Amino acid sequence: MAIWLVLVRKEVVEALRSMKAVWLPLVFILLGAMQPITSYYMPEILKHAGNMPEGSIIQIPVPSAGEVLAQTLSQYGTLGLLIVALAFMGMISSEINSGTASFTLVKPVGRTSFFLSKWAAALLLVWLSFAAGFGASWYYTVLLIGAPDAGAVVQGFLLYGLWLSFVVTLTLLFSSLLRSPAGAAFASLGTAAVLAVASSLFPHAWQPGLLAGIAAEAVQAAANPKATAVVMITAAATALAAVLACLSMKRKALP
Amino acid sequence: MNELLCVTGLKRTFGARAAVEGIDMSIKEGRCVALLGPNGAGKTTTIRMLTGLLPPTSGTIKFRGEGMEDDFRRHIGYLPQAPVYYGWMSGRELLVHAGRLCGLSAAAAEARAAEMLERVGLSDAARRRVGGYSGGMKQRLGIAQALVHRPRLVIMDEPVSALDPIGRREVLALMRELKEETTVLFSTHVLHDAESVCDDVIIMADGRVAAAGAVEELRSRYRQPIIELRVEEDARSVAWADEMADGRRKLPHVDSAEHRDGSLRFAVDDLDAARIALMQELVREGVKAARLEAGFSTLEDLFLKVVEGRGNLARTRS
Repeated sequence: MAIWLVLVRKEVVEALRSMKAVWLPLVFILLGAMQPITSYYMPEILKHAGNMPEGSIIQIPVPSAGEVLAQTLSQYGTLGLLIVALAFMGMISSEINSGTASFTLVKPVGRTSFFLSKWAAALLLVWLSFAAGFGASWYYTVLLIGAPDAGAVVQGFLLYGLWLSFVVTLTLLFSSLLRSPAGAAFASLGTAAVLAVASSLFPHAWQPGLLAGIAAEAVQAAANPKATAVVMITAAATALAAVLACLSMKRKALP
Repeated sequence: MNELLCVTGLKRTFGARAAVEGIDMSIKEGRCVALLGPNGAGKTTTIRMLTGLLPPTSGTIKFRGEGMEDDFRRHIGYLPQAPVYYGWMSGRELLVHAGRLCGLSAAAAEARAAEMLERVGLSDAARRRVGGYSGGMKQRLGIAQALVHRPRLVIMDEPVSALDPIGRREVLALMRELKEETTVLFSTHVLHDAESVCDDVIIMADGRVAAAGAVEELRSRYRQPIIELRVEEDARSVAWADEMADGRRKLPHVDSAEHRDGSLRFAVDDLDAARIALMQELVREGVKAARLEAGFSTLEDLFLKVVEGRGNLARTRS
């Protein structure tokens, strides 16, 4: 446990020094804040776009606060996931390839704690970034559009955070399985994309891919009866991915 | 002396290729042991298994009776062949981190890091980022991080091979100091380095232990009387030398003859008798000797013999 904390501390310091702990929240804040702002100013933006015929009347209904937050989540579902996968794709494989993993693992450090420290640091960073970004989105929504139901927003936040955690864990799993960081990003994004597409094709199959949609419904205060089951399944899948990553680390030959 | 490390039947295969084919060796406490062998002999693979980086295909490693599952890594310090560190840490931070990973408290790790930096001469560079260190500095930092938790066994993989002559001398001096206080195992393909610092040698070739024992013991055990003869370049002498090397011409007390480095080298059973027989032969055949030298084979001859024609040497255990 003491050693695990030393490892987590190292990961956190590394994230700060490499500026990852700065740009990841910034990207999330940018994505989050853009959504209510563009929704609110869309008529203005279109008016200034220029190539509209003289006298055309633009009428776009301003979306409800819940809708804006749901759109923010869908932004995170594409660009957000991409950024997360890129940020953590090399967390394990780069260390193994470069030999710094060997530096750590010839010391009396368990391979499980090695993985768990990286997992904890990655989750911490992603949750903080997501909280900052979603908080920014909420703030601008309240400012420009109106106050959504706070309970619903928090619920949606937690649900979507779980989906992000699942994708982060997948990225780390593939980072421990595959030699190439790009391969890990591709594999985890691919898996997430397949699950997301599957959720719209087969809405009755219970799998983690449904969670993004359930979170978007939750912020609009629409309860989904499947929510509890999907949360359990996603949590179990996340834990399974972590266990598989630990097993793959244990069997690994290091340079 | 106590046995510190005992390896039995250690084997590792990569696909169909066996890198290490079942080796046995033991290291006694307080000794400085060189793992000697040509490139590709399996030295690094063996070391990676000893340090727990690479799971063995079969075989056991015991450290004072403890197996791998008891995690004896806390007693081992390891310097890899090409050390890589977190470039964003400073030298001091890296040593503190290494110490803490080995279970030292924050204060103890700080104190020990300062001590080690002083010892390897990196105090001035302690606050600089490791990414900017030169090769020699990285090697010295590597030694410091291997020693930070006072290990009972220090394992070094090719500690001097990549260094310039000055760095080499510094590291060898450090190793000489080190062997006074702890047990050292290091691999090298340079015999001279091995002879200059170690007590015991384990010679590996093709994934097997070809010979092992104390340097002096090996030297006397495999010591063979030899005569080296250099002849002039005239046709008669050269023809005679070729006939000797081919084995077409035989002499009493001479076991074998071969060309090496422009000389003819005779392995003999009785130095005096062979010398007389050889000189008589030279006179009889009118061979012009340029230089004749009688002596004994060196450790280098043993190394070459083991590496080139392995399998015919009996294994000795220290």
